[in-house]
Amino acid sequence: MARLAALVVLAVVVLAFPTAAPNAYILSAGIVVLSYACTATAWNFMGGFTGYVSLGHAAFFGLGAYGTGLLIRDLGLPSFVAWLAAGAIVLLVTIPVGIAALRVRGASFVIVSISFVLILLLVFQAWGTFTGGSDGLVVPRPFPDMLRPEHHRTFFYLFAALLAVMLVAWWAIDRSRFGTGLKAVREDEDKAQALGVPTRNYKLVAYVVSATFTGLAGGMYALWFGDLDPIFQFSIMLGAYMVLMALLGGVRHLFGPLLGAVIVGTGLEYFKLEFGDTQFHLVATALLLGVVVLFMPDGIIPAAQALVKRFGPQDSSIREMTAAELLERNRAAAPATTEGDPTAEPTTAVGQEGRHAEGETTTEGPGEGEGPRRGGPGGSSRGTSERMEDAAPRPRTGPEEDR
Amino acid sequence: MTGTLLFQSLVLGVLLGGLYALLAAGLTLYFGVMRVVMIAHSAFLILAAYLAWFFNQQTGMDPLLSLVITVPLFFLVGVGMQRLLITRLRAATLTMMSVLLTFAVALFIEGMIGFVWSGTQRRIQLPYSGASIEFFGARIAVVKLVAFGLAALSLALLYLLMKHSRFGQALRATIQHREAAQLVGIKTDRVAGYGFGLGLATAAIGGTALSLDATIYPSLHWHWIGPLMAIIVVGGLGSIPGAAIAAMVLGIGQSLLQVPLGTTWAQTIFYVALFATLMLRPQGFFGGRLAQRF
Repeated sequence: MARLAALVVLAVVVLAFPTAAPNAYILSAGIVVLSYACTATAWNFMGGFTGYVSLGHAAFFGLGAYGTGLLIRDLGLPSFVAWLAAGAIVLLVTIPVGIAALRVRGASFVIVSISFVLILLLVFQAWGTFTGGSDGLVVPRPFPDMLRPEHHRTFFYLFAALLAVMLVAWWAIDRSRFGTGLKAVREDEDKAQALGVPTRNYKLVAYVVSATFTGLAGGMYALWFGDLDPIFQFSIMLGAYMVLMALLGGVRHLFGPLLGAVIVGTGLEYFKLEFGDTQFHLVATALLLGVVVLFMPDGIIPAAQALVKRFGPQDSSIREMTAAELLERNRAAAPATTEGDPTAEPTTAVGQEGRHAEGETTTEGPGEGEGPRRGGPGGSSRGTSERMEDAAPRPRTGPEEDR
Repeated sequence: MTGTLLFQSLVLGVLLGGLYALLAAGLTLYFGVMRVVMIAHSAFLILAAYLAWFFNQQTGMDPLLSLVITVPLFFLVGVGMQRLLITRLRAATLTMMSVLLTFAVALFIEGMIGFVWSGTQRRIQLPYSGASIEFFGARIAVVKLVAFGLAALSLALLYLLMKHSRFGQALRATIQHREAAQLVGIKTDRVAGYGFGLGLATAAIGGTALSLDATIYPSLHWHWIGPLMAIIVVGGLGSIPGAAIAAMVLGIGQSLLQVPLGTTWAQTIFYVALFATLMLRPQGFFGGRLAQRF
């Protein structure tokens, strides 16, 4: 309920921002922050689920932006058709790149991701006749008869809509079997593979989804900003900002990248305004990234949650109901057990932490007929035996300790 | 392409490859001892070049003399970085997080260079800057030869140190199998720190060599890190001879391609080689057991 209220508040704040913004500059800064939020959320499809840190997502941003611009310029496509087509191009380009990059783990993956940005930067700068090179590429505006403030407002909503689509997609994947498989890759890739998670294909799909969304964000940016330069579109800094925002907010949380984007994006705009074109923003970004990596690698959201928990009621290991009461409760619950009962679900190592805790506190104890047959080490969080038989066989979505 | 031009490019490629080999050896050391991809390596390279330039500017002495200061300084910084920063990261996510951490260090260095010495392009003027010698019809700038000599000498020293000293044995044991090295009484943490320092010292030498004949500016390091990382993947992560061979081959390749294609397109050879390696042999061409896991 509180979550729903927060969501409504967030939506109202986002929707009301253009009308509340005092001037066009604030509104355009808001659009920049929102575009950062889009890229960081898109990055999080790969970084958050699989734990593969890509420093080179700016490549897809730039490809989306340039793809949109070039399709409008050379083929004369309508703006938003070109935008979608550019997204499709990014999708197709990502597949071979992803196959190459995902043949290796960890270190090499990062190297490939950075290399991909550098190679595209070189190509787009050198191939001046096609891309405009360092002179830049002017993208025609999609709404030529709109005045500037109106144009800004329209794009603010367009970016917000794109972000909403991404958030819904992330949320859906987070709750799906596919998402669980990806998280298994993040926690222990070898074990996930041994348990039959098709790790390579899962990673590839996540990478492609992530890249396509980044490309769409880039295309939207191109339509809004209207002027592209390889230095800024294929910039390693942009990729670094995505990582920083997502990590700062918390990669395991739906709204983590959004929160990080609001903080970092506002900070960047402030630095640009206060100090102009100096090297200060590099130093500030570096320090923030260092602090986040060293002291807060899980992000703000988990840190804040831990803080709240610290001042809230203490967890105790003493059960507040007697064994008899528990038995009574389990008996009452048993006939009503359906597939969706979270307490009957075997706790997966990669499941939601909240669900994990709930399963443990409510069903732990001397349930009737509970034998050691399913209890491995730490496997006491099982229902009663009759309940286990009632429950339909469940697709195994993660490592289970008893098989 | 005439024969002379070809030969000229070949010689220049060898000279460039020597510098690449030294720097790639440093990157390989970090990776070997800590499984860390050190993005900041080339930032330290540029920092050393700036220090050499600054030294030359202030004292008027040959920038090569700045090595006396920068090499020990960088060694200590490297040890400090390993002890104070890298070891603080969680073991489970070390590889990924260390990339971000060293990326932050690289940005910090770039920002501070720009802040202290401004973004202006700098170049050292030496009495022998314009001098060149004839070598079977190819004209080779003296500064390039000095840079190559410096790189070759350092690589040879590094080789001797790794192969024929007790410390080198301990370092190689740490790279090969950390737990086993601990069992035979090697203080792997300390050795890893020294290995890190040694890697950073190669950046000091490389940077000084670079400062002799290159125009330097703060963001130059991005042009170096891509090729260097491609080299260590092609060579096989963790293999110093592999990195050296790949550096030579790719350096010569880049130099030869520069004639028909121009400098910008010639640089893409590194990335083409990188992607080709990953498709054909993900563990790299000279990588052993270590490279297969990364």
